Amino acid sequence: MANTHGHKPSVKIGAGAVVCVEAEIRGDVTIGPRTVIHPKARIVAEGGPIVIGECNLIEEQALIINPKVGEKIDKNSGTMTIGSHNVFEVGCRCEALKVGNNNVVEAKALVGRNTELSNGCIIGADCEITSKETLPENTVIFGQSCNRRVQAERPPPQTLQLDFLMKILPNYHHLKKATKPKADK
Amino acid sequence: MAGLLEVDRVNILCPDSGIRLPISRLYFCRHCLKLKSGQCVSHEVDSHYCPNCLENMPSAEAKIKKNRCGNCFDCPSCRHTLSTRATSIAIPNPNDPAKPTTKKAYYLACGFCRWTSRDIGMPDKHIASGAWQVPDNPYVDRESLTVFSNMKMGSFVDQGRRMNELLDYYRQLAQREKQERERKRISRRRSYFHLQEKYLSQVSTRRRSGALLSALTNLSVKESEQNQNLSVKGSESVDDVEKLPPEIYNEPVNLASVCTITQRLSQPEYQPHYIKQLYPKHKHLLIKRSQRCRECEHNLSKPEFNPSSIRFKIQLVALHHVPEVRIFSIPNLYFQQESQVTLMLINAVENQTKVTLQPMPSSDHDVATASVTLPGSDLVLAAKDDTAEYDDMNSDYPEFKDDPSLVHFRKANKLAFFVKVTPEKAVGDVIIALKVKYNYRDMAAQFRRTDEDKDQEKEPPIVWLEYECTINLGKLVDK
Repeated sequence: MANTHGHKPSVKIGAGAVVCVEAEIRGDVTIGPRTVIHPKARIVAEGGPIVIGECNLIEEQALIINPKVGEKIDKNSGTMTIGSHNVFEVGCRCEALKVGNNNVVEAKALVGRNTELSNGCIIGADCEITSKETLPENTVIFGQSCNRRVQAERPPPQTLQLDFLMKILPNYHHLKKATKPKADK
Repeated sequence: MAGLLEVDRVNILCPDSGIRLPISRLYFCRHCLKLKSGQCVSHEVDSHYCPNCLENMPSAEAKIKKNRCGNCFDCPSCRHTLSTRATSIAIPNPNDPAKPTTKKAYYLACGFCRWTSRDIGMPDKHIASGAWQVPDNPYVDRESLTVFSNMKMGSFVDQGRRMNELLDYYRQLAQREKQERERKRISRRRSYFHLQEKYLSQVSTRRRSGALLSALTNLSVKESEQNQNLSVKGSESVDDVEKLPPEIYNEPVNLASVCTITQRLSQPEYQPHYIKQLYPKHKHLLIKRSQRCRECEHNLSKPEFNPSSIRFKIQLVALHHVPEVRIFSIPNLYFQQESQVTLMLINAVENQTKVTLQPMPSSDHDVATASVTLPGSDLVLAAKDDTAEYDDMNSDYPEFKDDPSLVHFRKANKLAFFVKVTPEKAVGDVIIALKVKYNYRDMAAQFRRTDEDKDQEKEPPIVWLEYECTINLGKLVDK
């Protein structure tokens, strides 16, 4: 759905991605193939574009936002990149600029602007992480006081869930159509 | 009616222990006709059960298993319950090497901190439960030394049997002390002298005394035998202690691989340094307890045997036997100004109850900070009727002639009435104290009747009981 107001913002949906119509996607967002976006998920690219990789799972009421900081919109450094096989559970909020692969942001968690998630990180339910750092691989943040530990292996990918959703969601929701990637001028 | 949430507002004095508790924390002994608090009862263990699998365990089995469940495990990292997860792995089929068959492999995982049994290197098991081995206590079993020598925890060469030695020694010591205590109780002072006087003549006593005494002291020969065996090697202090590894001074601590103190102390047998050595433990059992009145030895609270049932077989709580005072409404309270407070009485038993409120005599340790004018006459409470909520409410009760200046309203077994309160202290909470006297139909009296009385009395006798109650009305309002 190309935005007729403004110049460039558009939503590019890769092949095989399941994006429900009720999901709110604003701004310049690229969604990779085989990603599932539940209804009522919100992806807001205010301060810059968002690029989402493949096989991600973004659940209801999750908010992935590239917020506007000040008045300038800097396109180059303000791109939010999200890798593949990530899971954003219900009600979470992610503002991190760089999210790697195989991460899990659990329900109602908050990932601040300055944090970067590498691979295999798990942010536990209701945990907030806003410190300016890159989380080392396979870090688990859990508990009321946001304890940390490192696990031995990354969390298993949710392929079973993704397959199930890709079959069931089209039965009950209208989907946004996949778009061909725009050719660069 | 915030009284249901703020239970400490109305406290009742327990006569035996002297502590003030809300009515929900008190028991009522039907046989002594007294209120009891948690300190006036003896607590006993009723049954053991696992909080995860809700499996009941007889006490003897619980003692052998050291009060741990056989099937359930606790995460060593965050001490929540571990759950068993399954993955399917493809292994080559032994019959047909070309086709791989899928088999299920099970591992333990924590849902909270995401610890898995693979973190410490425990291989996946092929059966769902019962295969997980927890390492033994190194101080008890010598065979497990090899496991720990690999973990660089120092040498346990002499410690292998230490725990067993100590336990045996103390067990024998305890047995000997018990025997001594019993012997002292049975025979105060067995003086052989009076026996000699009775059975032997004076002349031969001196000659025979030795023989008789030795015969009578044969009983204590066993003691001396035990005396010989009962000794244990004391702990020896060692001068040279194992030195710290030099890495401690050079390298920074890797916080991700070192255990926290809580994790380390939760496994006191091994006290591992590194998280790779943290093994899961079996889950601790919980108990159901029963409570017994110390005076009359009757049970006051006895839970059901089934661990998943929260009901009670015997539940003699004050809430079901004693009329309860609740705060209904409080106006603004001003210092030294009389205000009208509405209190509510709730009848707990299924017969009509007469309640008299009396002022507390002032004493040295007075908790009341306000004076109160109580209704002079008896208040009559209707019986508690469990079916009343299903009937249409007719709010006038003609059988009770209620004085409207005294009674606010009446509904089923509840009665709201007015009292006049004058705060006497300028700071702090306004607390009033009063004595509640009520008549109680003693159903348990028939067990105390003697045979002669049995013919006379058919009705359970009515006795007047009382309790002291303090009510906290909250803070004063500035004028």
